[in-house]
Amino acid sequence: MPNGLDIPFLIDTFFVALTGVPIAMLITIVSLLIALPLGFLLALTRINRMPILNQFSRVYVSFVRGTPVIVQIFIIYNSVPLLLGTIFEKYNINMNVYEVNPIWYAFIVFSLNTIATLIEVFRSAINTVSKGQLEAAHSVGLTTAQAFIRIIIPQTLVVALPNICNATVNLIKATSLGYAMSLPEITLKAQVAANASYNYIEAYIAIFIIYLLICSLVEYAFKRYEKRLRKYQIAPAA
Amino acid sequence: MLEIQNIHKSFGETTVLSGVDLQIGKGDVVVVLGPSGSGKTTLLRCINFLEKADKGEAIFGDIQVDLHQASKKQIQAIRKRTAFVFQNYNLFNNKTVLENVTEGLIIGRKIPKEKAIEIAKNALNKVELEDKYTAYPAELSGGQQQRVGIARAVALSPDIILFDEPTSALDPELVGEVLEVMKTIAKEGTTMLVVTHEMSFAKDVANKVVFMDGGVVVEEGPPKEFFENPKEERTRKFLRRVLPDDFIYHI
Repeated sequence: MPNGLDIPFLIDTFFVALTGVPIAMLITIVSLLIALPLGFLLALTRINRMPILNQFSRVYVSFVRGTPVIVQIFIIYNSVPLLLGTIFEKYNINMNVYEVNPIWYAFIVFSLNTIATLIEVFRSAINTVSKGQLEAAHSVGLTTAQAFIRIIIPQTLVVALPNICNATVNLIKATSLGYAMSLPEITLKAQVAANASYNYIEAYIAIFIIYLLICSLVEYAFKRYEKRLRKYQIAPAA
Repeated sequence: MLEIQNIHKSFGETTVLSGVDLQIGKGDVVVVLGPSGSGKTTLLRCINFLEKADKGEAIFGDIQVDLHQASKKQIQAIRKRTAFVFQNYNLFNNKTVLENVTEGLIIGRKIPKEKAIEIAKNALNKVELEDKYTAYPAELSGGQQQRVGIARAVALSPDIILFDEPTSALDPELVGEVLEVMKTIAKEGTTMLVVTHEMSFAKDVANKVVFMDGGVVVEEGPPKEFFENPKEERTRKFLRRVLPDDFIYHI
């Protein structure tokens, strides 16, 4: 159909691409679950200037930030099988590295990426919680771990939440690069559908809407959560 | 009950404490005075291990610890016997007033929740905040926040409460309410070590005044003697600066 959009195709593709949402969300959630604690711990090594780990975090962040995600994907996707192949051969493990589900590579790439983002997010957020909070917790007999879990982290989270939301939305959008690893996520599904009929515009509009919907929903959820966490930050009465 | 011996502390090149000794008996209210930079606050912070001393010893009832090399367990033991009231209140911002007080009881002291709430309410009633249990620190005035800080310390029923310039961050009109609360708990026999610039508190409530300057104790004694008949020149100089003339010489 040279003139106008093929609306029925667009609708069909919308639902086809929708079947890629679970994979995209799985990658997002797994990466966040890995990156949140690691990002927080590495941020602490930066703040406390712990030897070695501090320098490691700094270099790590600049490496990840200084390279495009797609290049990171190409490198991991191509080098990990080689590495694994050698290891498997050495220990006589009978497994074909090229049959590994690409989702594992996606977990690796996107976790590594999100860790780097979150190190910086947490570093600035932890710094906004005054040192006095930790001292007060110590003074009433809490251990450092208890102080972090009960006092410091809840306050850090409130400050960090808008940026964590940002990182999450960026992550969801970045999963679209999974198509480069033949991951059957949203973009790849649409691409395949479009390849058959050359209706690229319709396919792209369909996934445009899908990403927009997911990201808006996620943002809304974060806003709600933030509001709940923020309940203690009320304008002073006096 | 608490004895501090020969405590030293430097920050880099700057020596803040150079050999301070201190004795506090049960029920004593000891006020530490001195110009800013004399090491008063650091002394307090070293006793509670918020700062690690370079050298020194503390004898705390039956516990004796090296202030420089105390183990985690010893630090925890000392902290369980002390409580700290901060200049900037340092209330837990994410906790309500009641939770601020129960936190140390439930988590730090392992007191059952219901019992902890009862203790906390008693402490808060003592500082006249019975109508603020569910408020968050951000909703309170500075004076109210500091009263919560005091309630948080009192509720722990520590052997001694350390006050680090508890009224210095307050608006002048709020200082009175906090001093009033401190006076009340002092009268109840609470052992207190107070760093302050409030001369009236030292004069009226303390039973011992310690004057520090340049990282050492220059003079100590009962307040009457200290204010009316200071022995050291440095003390006299300090008192001349901080007190109106007639305060020193009146009979």
